[in-house]
Amino acid sequence: MNILIGGIGSVLLGDDGVGPYVARLLEARYVFEDGVEIDDLGTPALDLIDRISGKDAVILIDSINTDVAPGTVVLYRKADIMRQRPAVRMDPHAPALMEAILSAELFGVAPAEVLLVGIKAESFDIGCNLSETVSASLDEVIALVLAELDQFHIEYRLREHPAEVGIWWTRQETPASRVVR
Amino acid sequence: MSQRITIDPITRIEGHLRIDVEVENNAVSNAWASCTMWRGIENILKGRDPRDAWLFTQRFCGVCTTVHAMASVRAVEDALKLEVPRNAQYIRNLILIAHALHDHIVHFYQLSALDWVDVMQIPKADPAATAKLAESLSPWTHNSKEEFQAAQSRVKAVAASGQLGIFMNGYWGHPAMHLSPEVNLLAFTHYIQALEYQRKALQVVGILGGKTPHIQNLTVGGVSNAVDLDSASALNMDKLEMIRVLLDEVVQFVDQVYFVDVCAVAAMYPEWFKIGKGVNNYLAVPDLPLDGGNYELPGGYILKGNIAGAHPFKTASDQDFRDGVSEGVAHAYYHGNKPLHPWKGVTDPNFTDWNGDKKYSWVKAPRFNGQAMQVGPLAQVLVGFAQGHPLTVKYATKAIETIDAVGHIQATPAMLESTLGRHGARAIRAAMLGEVAQKHLQLLIDNIAKGDTTVFNQPDFPSHEVEGVGTHEAPRGTLSHWIVIDDAKIKNYQAVVPSTWNASPRDASGARGPYEASLMNTPLARPDEPLEVLRTVHSFDPCMACACHTFDPSGREIARVKVL
Repeated sequence: MNILIGGIGSVLLGDDGVGPYVARLLEARYVFEDGVEIDDLGTPALDLIDRISGKDAVILIDSINTDVAPGTVVLYRKADIMRQRPAVRMDPHAPALMEAILSAELFGVAPAEVLLVGIKAESFDIGCNLSETVSASLDEVIALVLAELDQFHIEYRLREHPAEVGIWWTRQETPASRVVR
Repeated sequence: MSQRITIDPITRIEGHLRIDVEVENNAVSNAWASCTMWRGIENILKGRDPRDAWLFTQRFCGVCTTVHAMASVRAVEDALKLEVPRNAQYIRNLILIAHALHDHIVHFYQLSALDWVDVMQIPKADPAATAKLAESLSPWTHNSKEEFQAAQSRVKAVAASGQLGIFMNGYWGHPAMHLSPEVNLLAFTHYIQALEYQRKALQVVGILGGKTPHIQNLTVGGVSNAVDLDSASALNMDKLEMIRVLLDEVVQFVDQVYFVDVCAVAAMYPEWFKIGKGVNNYLAVPDLPLDGGNYELPGGYILKGNIAGAHPFKTASDQDFRDGVSEGVAHAYYHGNKPLHPWKGVTDPNFTDWNGDKKYSWVKAPRFNGQAMQVGPLAQVLVGFAQGHPLTVKYATKAIETIDAVGHIQATPAMLESTLGRHGARAIRAAMLGEVAQKHLQLLIDNIAKGDTTVFNQPDFPSHEVEGVGTHEAPRGTLSHWIVIDDAKIKNYQAVVPSTWNASPRDASGARGPYEASLMNTPLARPDEPLEVLRTVHSFDPCMACACHTFDPSGREIARVKVL
């Protein structure tokens, strides 16, 4: 089974970085069976079409802006996502989750399942750190992603020695100064 | 009595473009472009290690990641006067070319084609006639009657389901849509096929950059790819061969499909060569550096449409460019009273409500020697054409001949200064990039074969203050990152991005920015369905996605066209 687990959001805008953050935590803590791809997708807009096409299932992790308390974790299934209306495209690079799914469907390469694990943000102020409220929800988000993987009968296990967590944006020193071969 | 139309994708919180137009006698009589979110991201960089800046700037925008990474390392290298080894230069060039090809294909097929193509006319098309037409235009091998039939049946299925899906928001049946059913089917079929080729272009970026989005192989002073034709883990002959095959396929799609489709659609909308000209000052910087201080693609500027009097730039950070750029905030939501050079730039927010006479946008107003400038493929092509750049002349001429052959409309280079001309110029630029792609791959292979495996020169930071500018002639136009470094730390950082030039608000003198000026006098058949406004705005390929990407599950309408 081909599954994409994708973190979506801007790591420069506070809690919007929660998607990339969780993707990197999952990658560092767990080993997944072949066919599971984990990626920090940033803010891909319509490039999402390329990423979801041909997958059996897609689990996205993203900040949400809805009427619940900050830090609340909400799971959306494909039908929930598709309840939106597509936007009149003014800025053609605006977020486009539903448009990406609709395009993939038109092209006949849409994943059967698309899930979105949403975390209500507390702040989108410019900065590279998550709020304490959202940080406190990270384990719940990870548990929810793993529970959905269980539903797909996907195998995974905790790493004996957790890998280095690639969340470079919260550090003052970053790996760009790494040794170059 | 004028009518006011606001187009504002309202409910998501990310920064986006808002357009306001006034309409009198069915034509635009005034226009404002504004961005609805603060871009103060540069402030994050202050105090950081300049070698890290590209990792952060790569996150300015989720679609234009690569270009912001490249401009950033170039800015630091410019400040340090640091040379980049040949291998690194060619690897960077290949990434930039592949990224641009991807971007141009996506722009036309995913983002703009349906402004011109009426999907609901497709069921009426005759697939056999479409195949005949297509074969007369191009040797593309996927232009068979069967291909067109398959695409047509997808549309029929969507139409029959009553769920318009991705087509829900189109202005179908709009009086400004008038392609024949067969041309509609032709372009739509290629819209489906484009997906495969845009993905192949990204694969090239991924092989060289380590991953995409967010390439990992850049470093100030070069790249971090290990280069060894025989090593399994390095950039070796197998990977270079893979790149060659992918580029061949993408370039063939550009030449035989994208370029031809743009010309064919353009030939059938000749009135759109007279609409959307706007600001006729053009700016482009040289790019794709070659050995010996030369560039594959030329740069320079043109004022008031005086193509014969074009001024060339000798380098990517030409002194005229370094001195000439300023940003004003007279109509932008920032504190400040006079235009500032980017090295002195201040980003200090001062939000007020939208007021077309006062402040109305988060975009600053960049000016070159005090003038609003249009950037993007049209500027790139005109600046090259003016200098007799052979590659530009070759493909501009080919485009004009192709448009003429289809439409018999006596096409001329001057017609490029228009809404459709911007699409034509983008196709011309894509064809040019396609032609040089294999050349730069061969330059890389030849250089490695000579035994040169250097990819990186060590940066050395002085303790005193230094300034640099890194430019890149990105798919959307001139991008420049301006950095001030003091004692190896970032003291100031400003990004002047293509969409800032084009989406600029008015300046202190009241002069409109390119989007605003291009909308003036545009005829609108139905003000409540402002398709014509979208056509012109889309022709610039706006990108305001330097911002948030939050999912709003409320199911509310997420864009609004408001007519007052």
